[in-house]
Amino acid sequence: MLQRREFLSKLNGSIAGLALATMENSASDASTSGVLEQLHFAPKARQVIQLFMAGAASHIDLWDYKPWLERHHGEPSDFGEPIEAFQNGLGPWMKSPFRFLPFGQSGKMLSEVVAPLGACVDDIAFVHNMVGKTGVHSQATYLQATGFERPGFPGVGAWVSYALGSINEDLPTFIVLPDHRGFASNGPKNWGAAFLPASTQGTTVFPQRSNPIDDLEPGDGFDNNEAQQDSLRLLHNLNLTHASSRPDDSRLLARVRAYELAASMQLAAPDVFDLSDEPQYILDMYGLSRPGVGYPVEINAAEEAEYFGRKCLIARRLIERGVRFVQIWSGNDNSFPRRNWDSHENIVRDHEPLARGMAIATSALIQDLKQRGLLENTIVHWTTEFGRLPSSQSGVGRDHNPFVFTNWLCGGGVNGGLTYGESDHWGYKPLDRSRPTQVYDIHATILHLLGIDHTRLTVLHDGIDRRLTDVHGRVLNELIA
Amino acid sequence: MNYRNFCLLWLLFGSLDARVQASSNDQLFESQIAPILQARCISCHNDQQNAGDLSLQHSWQLEDSGSLLTPGNAETSRLLEAIELHDGEAQMPKDAAPLSITQIELIREWINAGASWEPEFHLSAPLSTSFDWWSFKQITRPSVPTVDDMRVSNPVDAFVLSKLRENQLDFSFAADRRSLIRRLYFDLLGSPPTYDEVAKFVSDEDPQAYERLVDRLLASEHYGERWARHWLDVVKYADTCGYDKDKLRNNAWPYRDYIIRSFNDDKPFVRFVQEQVAGDALFPGQADGILGLGFIAAGPWDFIGHVEVPETKLDGLVARNLDRDDMVTNCINTFCSLTIQCARCHDHKFDPFTQRDYYELQAIFAAVDRAERSYDLDPLLVEEKFRLQASVKRCREGLKAIDESITAAGGEELATLRREAEAARKEIDFALSPEFGYHSGLSETQDNLKWVEVQLPHEVELSSIILHPCYDDFAGIRDGFGFPLRYQVTVSGDFIENQSSDWRIAFDRTQTDVPSPGIQAIEIPYSGPPVRRIRVTATKLAPRKDDFNFALAELSIKCRGQDFVWPKGTHVSALDSIDAPVRWARNNLIDGLWPKASDPDSYKNWIVLSRKLESFLRELESQDHSTHKESLQKELASAEEALKQLPEGKMVYAAATHFLPQGNFKPTSGIPRQINLLMRGEVNRPGDVVDPGVLSLGEQVFEKLTSDASDSDRRSMLAKWLTQADHPLLWRSIANRLWQYHFGAGIVSTPNDFGRMGDTPTHPELLDWLACELRDAGGSLKHIHRLIVTSWTYRQSSASHADYLRTDGENRYLWRMNRRRLEAEEIRDSMLQVANLLNNKMGGPGFPLFELEKTEHSPHFEYYKYDPNNPDSHRRSIYRFVVRSQPNPWMMTLDCADSSQSTPRRSETITPLHALTMFNNRFNLMIANRLASYVSEQRTDLNAQIEYSVQLTLQRMPTRDEQVQLLAHAEKYGLEDVCRVLINLSEFVYLD
Repeated sequence: MLQRREFLSKLNGSIAGLALATMENSASDASTSGVLEQLHFAPKARQVIQLFMAGAASHIDLWDYKPWLERHHGEPSDFGEPIEAFQNGLGPWMKSPFRFLPFGQSGKMLSEVVAPLGACVDDIAFVHNMVGKTGVHSQATYLQATGFERPGFPGVGAWVSYALGSINEDLPTFIVLPDHRGFASNGPKNWGAAFLPASTQGTTVFPQRSNPIDDLEPGDGFDNNEAQQDSLRLLHNLNLTHASSRPDDSRLLARVRAYELAASMQLAAPDVFDLSDEPQYILDMYGLSRPGVGYPVEINAAEEAEYFGRKCLIARRLIERGVRFVQIWSGNDNSFPRRNWDSHENIVRDHEPLARGMAIATSALIQDLKQRGLLENTIVHWTTEFGRLPSSQSGVGRDHNPFVFTNWLCGGGVNGGLTYGESDHWGYKPLDRSRPTQVYDIHATILHLLGIDHTRLTVLHDGIDRRLTDVHGRVLNELIA
Repeated sequence: MNYRNFCLLWLLFGSLDARVQASSNDQLFESQIAPILQARCISCHNDQQNAGDLSLQHSWQLEDSGSLLTPGNAETSRLLEAIELHDGEAQMPKDAAPLSITQIELIREWINAGASWEPEFHLSAPLSTSFDWWSFKQITRPSVPTVDDMRVSNPVDAFVLSKLRENQLDFSFAADRRSLIRRLYFDLLGSPPTYDEVAKFVSDEDPQAYERLVDRLLASEHYGERWARHWLDVVKYADTCGYDKDKLRNNAWPYRDYIIRSFNDDKPFVRFVQEQVAGDALFPGQADGILGLGFIAAGPWDFIGHVEVPETKLDGLVARNLDRDDMVTNCINTFCSLTIQCARCHDHKFDPFTQRDYYELQAIFAAVDRAERSYDLDPLLVEEKFRLQASVKRCREGLKAIDESITAAGGEELATLRREAEAARKEIDFALSPEFGYHSGLSETQDNLKWVEVQLPHEVELSSIILHPCYDDFAGIRDGFGFPLRYQVTVSGDFIENQSSDWRIAFDRTQTDVPSPGIQAIEIPYSGPPVRRIRVTATKLAPRKDDFNFALAELSIKCRGQDFVWPKGTHVSALDSIDAPVRWARNNLIDGLWPKASDPDSYKNWIVLSRKLESFLRELESQDHSTHKESLQKELASAEEALKQLPEGKMVYAAATHFLPQGNFKPTSGIPRQINLLMRGEVNRPGDVVDPGVLSLGEQVFEKLTSDASDSDRRSMLAKWLTQADHPLLWRSIANRLWQYHFGAGIVSTPNDFGRMGDTPTHPELLDWLACELRDAGGSLKHIHRLIVTSWTYRQSSASHADYLRTDGENRYLWRMNRRRLEAEEIRDSMLQVANLLNNKMGGPGFPLFELEKTEHSPHFEYYKYDPNNPDSHRRSIYRFVVRSQPNPWMMTLDCADSSQSTPRRSETITPLHALTMFNNRFNLMIANRLASYVSEQRTDLNAQIEYSVQLTLQRMPTRDEQVQLLAHAEKYGLEDVCRVLINLSEFVYLD
């Protein structure tokens, strides 16, 4: 509110008094405050970074070590019950093509391709018994991203923005960094506002484009700075006159305010994407030490690290500046050649470079947040739409496994170094099939850490009280420090 | 402790407790049994539903029920039998989890103790089975209140003003004429009046000036464009499918155009509804009957779940279940304003609808899918087309079956031969040149004559003629491409111009078909008189893909056994030629190049084997086979030919039972799928099979159809039910929507939910009066528009009133007009119009506001690559191509409807991103530029230009103060920057 008062004090006398009165009484018109006036619990975290691996990353080749598969590699697969594969991935059992090694004090076994995350493993809590609902990418991605397997529901970041609002009004509350090659299944619908206010929608940022945020900068001969400032001033005056003759309508003042916020966003945002003030050792950490270097056409770890690293570093800068929710995507849609985690044909070909790149950058992000004291307030959540089967497809690939997969959480009040919920000896289904973990539980837990009771964050839409967790959700207290 | 043991322990201690507390059996009933019945039985066994002829609301009903219960003896009571577990399942409650063991034991105990139930103690039917709710009540035309007031211009005002007075409120004063005409233009047409139109109306002294204006605007074709947008918001229209691999729907737009046309024609509402639900069944042979079915198909559709996953898999079942769910939801939300979708997983929690009701509605859509179908063809033609398509399919399958039976008859021997031939083929190393040879013109029939001829500059004594066949991958033909089945080689000597030559036959193969030579040369010995011309005439052409041709790689000759080099002046002529160099050119026939195998023996080896294979296959082919095969081939050819003769027909993306299959997505051919009630909505937990039925609303009970009812009967039943004159929901729903789009808020503020979770009407009598008026005026929407916009209520000012603001801050009783922000489409169209760019072309495929890339897989819609100067995109926004998965960011920022869900009412948000878009977007800057240049063309003096810019954008003169400020700005930065400011004004995007 302080900022708002400062802003209003700049306005001339009578209008300012009026503005103050109306704007403070109209929470629904304000663009950036959250709907929760008071949190339900004392929060352990205030910001979130979500890493989403599009295409379905294999739990058993990254995080969930299965020595049983090493012993039975090549034997005909038998799940002990009828199973429907999405394609034809019921070939012989296949051990991970990657070596697993113990890391950290906890001795957690991790795949060699995510070894850089070994340095943070004691801060991470793994959930190995996640289950989905279908093996169809689109529905599964919706489910993990919005809590519903159908379009038309707000992304998790939109819910958090809706509840908590912004910490820094110079930037959007919810920022999304899609894969630089394009959108994953469902595209921007994964982070849309749906029936929540438009201000809660994820704002997409493409750091490599000349205008990383849509319409942040004008082009086409309108980029004269002085002209812009004067135009905004003139607009401000005229709109204020218009508003003052309609004093009961707070929307008109909110609109004046929105242009002010836009102007400050215009000043603040480019700074976020300009990495030139980062010291070399930080750039090195994130895999950004080779600026301008060319890459082969084949998918490769160095290139993946650079692109994912840039997004992670920008995420840290966004968190530092108070952005509430940052979502980073790895992998685009299912076109060819494959540039996502949907390794039907060959786990090594796609998973190795994607995972190595992701792990370098993610490890850097976690350590960097930690050394700045930001990790304790920031939840880092790694997820994907489902897992992959322990049986093989076309010899060296794996088919979809919606029956079990892995998520992990880190920072923001999460109890690190533990593994919660196990999968069975193959990584086919949860070990305890009667007590799986679902996305509702993860969402409930994230909201809980942010101080929100997931059953009380509701919006009435079309006659239904909508919740991020629908009618489900259990806070995973075991994960909370 | 396992669950069962736990329950037993609980039972021991828990029920002891209960017994101690319950001093009598009556009390046991009231404290323990009644809650169980209330929670688990009453939802079906109540006085209204009376499932199985049993209600459990009153004690006497138990006594009347005969053997249901024998007081004192639980073991002979049918009630206990019904709820007891057998193999973990119980008969009752139906389609739901069984009672807990504790509950069953309590009931046993209660019966054994005498089953007493105090007659005064009644169980109430739960809220959700009661139709005692405003929206389910019959509509009767309310009498219009008598209000003695000059301002009451029609019954609308009488209802509104009497309500205002009840609440100590009053109308505001009349809106000024400029505000009024702007309001009316935007509400009815979605774009502003011109400055001149405003000026004319402001000074029009005719007392009927406003009424004339209303009539004129209601007659405008832009009215349909504006109101179609509202409709399409509700029904979730888009031009792509949504979900992953968001495929284009290139023929969705005819439905959009149908909506526009229906509104413009003021189509009776009953007809409008019926066409959209069952137009094909109710109005056969009429295009609108099919176009309307775009309604059922308007929502999202999962390509992967339908095309890539078969209906037999769980994921395929899920996709199809969700697809039908969307159809049911769209239909009931849109026409009845009920949230029936809540009953997919369980009985509706708030409204009196059960899961069974919901699945009976699903069964109505059991035979339809979303696909393209033709809408302008005679239904007989359509039927003929499907018959022919089916015949093509059957012939192809028949031919395949013959092949398979031959393969089976050939056994291991045939398999071996095939393997050997295949292996031999792989051994061949072809040496091909880019110059293929000579290629005749294409022929639609096989028996057209084609010839090619080589003419030497002089006569030669030759000893043989050699024909080299072609090689071309086209249509997978490869070696022997274009080599005729029947042909002749003729020669002649010297000739005199224009006189027929004396042709001699050198080689004749015109009597029977010859087998393809592959690429092996055919050497024809010759010993006749000297030759100057050699002609090859094909009398039966080689088949290509859909036509026939004649091609030859090379024609060469030998003289006295020696290879002969064609001398200079040798000339190639032909009846016709496709002449597509490098590959195909006449002179390629004598260029010394033809396809060869590097090792001729490997080729010969393959030829031998493949001939052997062919003759073996011929041996295997019985007389029956070949007769059958021939007749199938004949039928196939004639069906394909007949299909070609049929007109293509125009297509619309709509509900369809017949369409061309795509992967696993196959038409039902009108045979409805079996619909089961799904426990918890899960496809792997099917309950009873349900028959198609519509919702029973209280007293009105409708017969269900049986499972053998046709698709047409099912949807016709729904359409007729929806459009009954006394349907309590349909007429209220549409009347409320019309009201809402004029005032910004409905009489019921939840336009898609008239159930208990929705709002109640602020003016119930007005709503019912409007509903009756709409129905009784033949379903004319324009009649209602006219009533509304000519009312004082609509024509009053939006100015505030301090006292009223305190008592009715939300303006629910309409003591003033609501100020509103323009919708995304209105803002875009206004910008185009004021910059003199708007192209008013109506209808047709949507124009893109993006660059389309990578359509073969998941299309990319690259909005940032769109060129805002492209004049094709300067059309009204109703005609833009709407992408479901990646909505237009400009539009979304301005609260455009999200086509993945029904949007009965737009939100109005104000965000910094809204400001960035309005101020910086390339489209907006283009408008500023073009507006400035248009103004500069029209006015020379800068002062006049400023004035004109304000006239165009705000339809008024600038104030003196504005003129000064804008002029100063223009002098410093140019007119473009002034225009940029003008289109960002609140006054530009708000209507008073």
